[in-house]
Amino acid sequence: MSRVSFASLSAGSLAAAIALIVGALCLLLEGLMPWLSIFPKEWVLPATETVGTGVKSGLTFLKPAARIFSALMAYPMAATNYVLSAVPWPLLIAATVALGWRLGGIKMAAMAAIGLGLVLVSGYWPQGMNTLALVAVSVPLALVVGAGIGILANEFPAFRAPVQALLDVMQTVPTFAYLTPLLVLFGFGPVVGLIASAIYAAPPMARNVLLGLQRVEHEVKEAAIMAGGTRIQQLFQVEIPAAKVQIMVGVNQCLMAALSMVIIAAVIGGFNDIGWEVLLTMRKAQFGPAMLAGAVIVIFAILIDRMSATLAQERRQLWDGRVSLGILLLGLIISLVFWSRIGDPGSYQLMDPLADGLDSWLTDFTRANAEALTSFKNGVMFYVLLPLRIGLDQAILPFTWGFQWTPVMSLWFYGAAALVGAACALRGQVTLGLVVLIAAGILETGVSQLSWPFVLAGAAALSWVAGGPRLALLSLVLLTTILVSGLWERALLSLYLSGAAVFACAVLGGAIGLLSAVSPLAWRIVRPICDMLQTIPLFVFLIPVLMVFQIGEFSAFLAIIAYAVVPMIRYTRQGLISTPDDMIEAATASGATGWQMMRDVRAPYAAPTILLGLNQTILYAFAMLVIAALIGTTGLGQSIYLALGKADVGLGISAGAAMAILALIADRIVQGFAQERKKALGL
Amino acid sequence: MIEAARETAVTGSDTPAISCQNVWQVFGENADSALEKALSQYETADEVAAALRAQGLVPAVQDANFDVKEGELFVIMGLSGSGKSTLIRCISQLLPASHGEIRIEGEDIVSASKARLIELRRKTLGMVFQHFGLFPHMTVAENVAYPLKVQGVKKKARLAKAKEVIDLVDLSGREDRFPRELSGGQRQRVGIARSLVADCSVWFLDEPFSALDPLIRRQLQDEFLDIQEKLKTTIVFITHDINEALKLADRIAIMRDGKIVQIGTPADIVLNPVDDYVREFSKDVAKGRHAHVASVMKDPQNHPFGADDPGLRRDMTLDAALARCMDLYEPVPVRDADGSLVGVINPADLAAALQVETDT
Repeated sequence: MSRVSFASLSAGSLAAAIALIVGALCLLLEGLMPWLSIFPKEWVLPATETVGTGVKSGLTFLKPAARIFSALMAYPMAATNYVLSAVPWPLLIAATVALGWRLGGIKMAAMAAIGLGLVLVSGYWPQGMNTLALVAVSVPLALVVGAGIGILANEFPAFRAPVQALLDVMQTVPTFAYLTPLLVLFGFGPVVGLIASAIYAAPPMARNVLLGLQRVEHEVKEAAIMAGGTRIQQLFQVEIPAAKVQIMVGVNQCLMAALSMVIIAAVIGGFNDIGWEVLLTMRKAQFGPAMLAGAVIVIFAILIDRMSATLAQERRQLWDGRVSLGILLLGLIISLVFWSRIGDPGSYQLMDPLADGLDSWLTDFTRANAEALTSFKNGVMFYVLLPLRIGLDQAILPFTWGFQWTPVMSLWFYGAAALVGAACALRGQVTLGLVVLIAAGILETGVSQLSWPFVLAGAAALSWVAGGPRLALLSLVLLTTILVSGLWERALLSLYLSGAAVFACAVLGGAIGLLSAVSPLAWRIVRPICDMLQTIPLFVFLIPVLMVFQIGEFSAFLAIIAYAVVPMIRYTRQGLISTPDDMIEAATASGATGWQMMRDVRAPYAAPTILLGLNQTILYAFAMLVIAALIGTTGLGQSIYLALGKADVGLGISAGAAMAILALIADRIVQGFAQERKKALGL
Repeated sequence: MIEAARETAVTGSDTPAISCQNVWQVFGENADSALEKALSQYETADEVAAALRAQGLVPAVQDANFDVKEGELFVIMGLSGSGKSTLIRCISQLLPASHGEIRIEGEDIVSASKARLIELRRKTLGMVFQHFGLFPHMTVAENVAYPLKVQGVKKKARLAKAKEVIDLVDLSGREDRFPRELSGGQRQRVGIARSLVADCSVWFLDEPFSALDPLIRRQLQDEFLDIQEKLKTTIVFITHDINEALKLADRIAIMRDGKIVQIGTPADIVLNPVDDYVREFSKDVAKGRHAHVASVMKDPQNHPFGADDPGLRRDMTLDAALARCMDLYEPVPVRDADGSLVGVINPADLAAALQVETDT
């Protein structure tokens, strides 16, 4: 067993061995060759500046056209704004309730009435309407552009691959990174938010339109041809209507993306909308009002999501239109009768006492529990995050752990790891043993201080195992561009924080997913929470963590977990419960206990699905990482945010690209493993 | 009687309704150029196909040659993957054939323009699909009327015409249902009605009854024959079911691995299979029910017959004939409907004809 020759190593062991050797060499030679641990500044290419000047000159060229477009867009915006603010609120609420009734009956109507009622009494009605006006103008734009791209990609197969690649990239580029070049192009003002949201919301539409058209049954398409339809007739009379359900899923996602982006775009400011209100109150540490404004956003998100989701139901029924008409009429009558007494909806600040109460309660709460909260925060920071970030050798100080880490301890630590690793190898688990050694090395050094040859070698080796030589080459080339562009340290910082958050999500989400799979009761509680968390725009996650734990990396860490844990829960449960019945029956017939069934049958079968969940979690974590820069993180997210403030296109785009690269590589590696598992299971 | 009606229809015209000459369909990268090269290099179709396969290409249809007469019901039969669906898609131009000449009512449709193809599909061609291919967002009436809609027929007129064919396929009263609300058999009735609404003269049916359960299948086959008797269109019918082929066909083409191995009347296929593959198909077929006396009788001029006359007719099935001369050993006369002598048959030959498959 112990006679492990080099040639007989599995691909995984070989990759781990290579990474380990490179890492160990770097550690040993660090003293002699300091350039191994820190990439020398002289080697960095002025990529950020080059990109900046290049893009800027391109943008200058486009600027006149953009400014004209911007001026043109101001008209529909002003018009929608005027309509939404001039229409008396009773009529607007009645219209929404009527629509809710038509789409989803009494439940949806009640939801609309209660939701908008809350918005009204919160006093944020005018700001809310401003936000909705932005959404109302950007969504049609995004729908038209997205549908156009989807249809073109369907009609011209040559377009398909590049369009898919473009959509993939657009999905991974962080939201803030869009804003900087747009800011330069369109200038300050609400139009930037509008354009950004249209750009951000178009890809899901395009993706779903293409998917829907491709999924139309082959014979349905042939029947349309044989009926003698022209291509236009086939497309618009048969294929698009037949793909309607999928296209409506696209509309739903498009709406949600637009809303999310409109709120994020408030960061560039200057517009009296609800996102700006949240930001403002957060900056002033008025958490009660911030919470209230955040609740308004959540209400909008839920209403828009649930109502548009009914459009994507397979067999949807419309509810009695006469009731809707009645509701609308009632709203109109109320508006007319009380015309002079309606007044300014912005002045109905009935919830203010509640907000103030919440604020003071919160202050009291944090003050009363300061000790417990601080020790929780410090516990996680000192014992988990800090060692991960700067390594045991620097994180363990008398101030944090109560003693000083010494080189002798390092030796003991490595020795223990070597023993565990050797034990694993002797039991035939060579890869596991090597991974233990690598993990020990990373923990001792800290993610943010890893030597760059080790990271490159490790990523390339891992890519090779997951997706073969092509993926390895891709990872190597892309990571090298980050390295030479001078964003390496920040990239490692981002990697550390998102890595820690993803790990926490995997453990936490995996456990909750497992529990939900085993107990239907647990799932009935977890499910609405998951639905809620997925509907809330990213921005809103910042409010509660900020309230309790103030600005800092820990708050960001929590916000990322809260947002990114959902897919892990969902996919874990989905994977575990979707084991085919005949496999369950075979295991039962073999006499497996419940636990054995979970370990030997359900879990292996669920592995590819759970990996896909992990993949989603990683992408979610990266998306949130950038938003979390608002409340204090270091790394690429911060750079992107700073670039936005300075309108530094070069930095914004480079850091955005670096972020996208990290997300892309992580995505491909995990997908590769998921594919491999699927193939191994014959799925 | 159906037979008689078909006979006259078949002999109606000289130009074949459909004519396929050297039709090839090859799938794979750069398939068309590889095919042209192979065709210029090799003599026989088998060699060409072998050469293409060696390049990793898939010759789904190899050198198909046949004519379908006007009003004829031509069945293409084969196992799944034998290329029959590909062949019908070549003829209907849903797939452009890699090579060969395809004429419909004398017109070369391989080189027809896009506009002309649309025109042909609107006026001449109709098609029924295995999984129905109904438009899920349209009602039964809208589905059926769709071929008229694309031609720009006014709503009232097209719905009136749709009503007619809906009645023909016995779906009256279900005009406003959606496809998802219908059973499989009803869905295929919609598919049939839709393909008939534009009064096509060439009708393609791609395994129309394969997705249905056996009882419904038989019912629809019978109704299909009734419709065909009324309309007398030219039909290309795809099936993998030998019994269905024998029941419906005027002539059957049997395909194997992209090649047409035999074309013949049902009796030919049953009594004179060209190879083991065809024989294997007809093995479980009750031959006596499909072959007629005419296919085994001999010329009365050269063959004497005995004194017994059990009253055999040329269009009797072998089963019926055999039942009449169970205890006879001498050759007996065969007459036509008027009673005039048309042939001679030895009862032993009758019995032997039924035994073909057990001899091998």
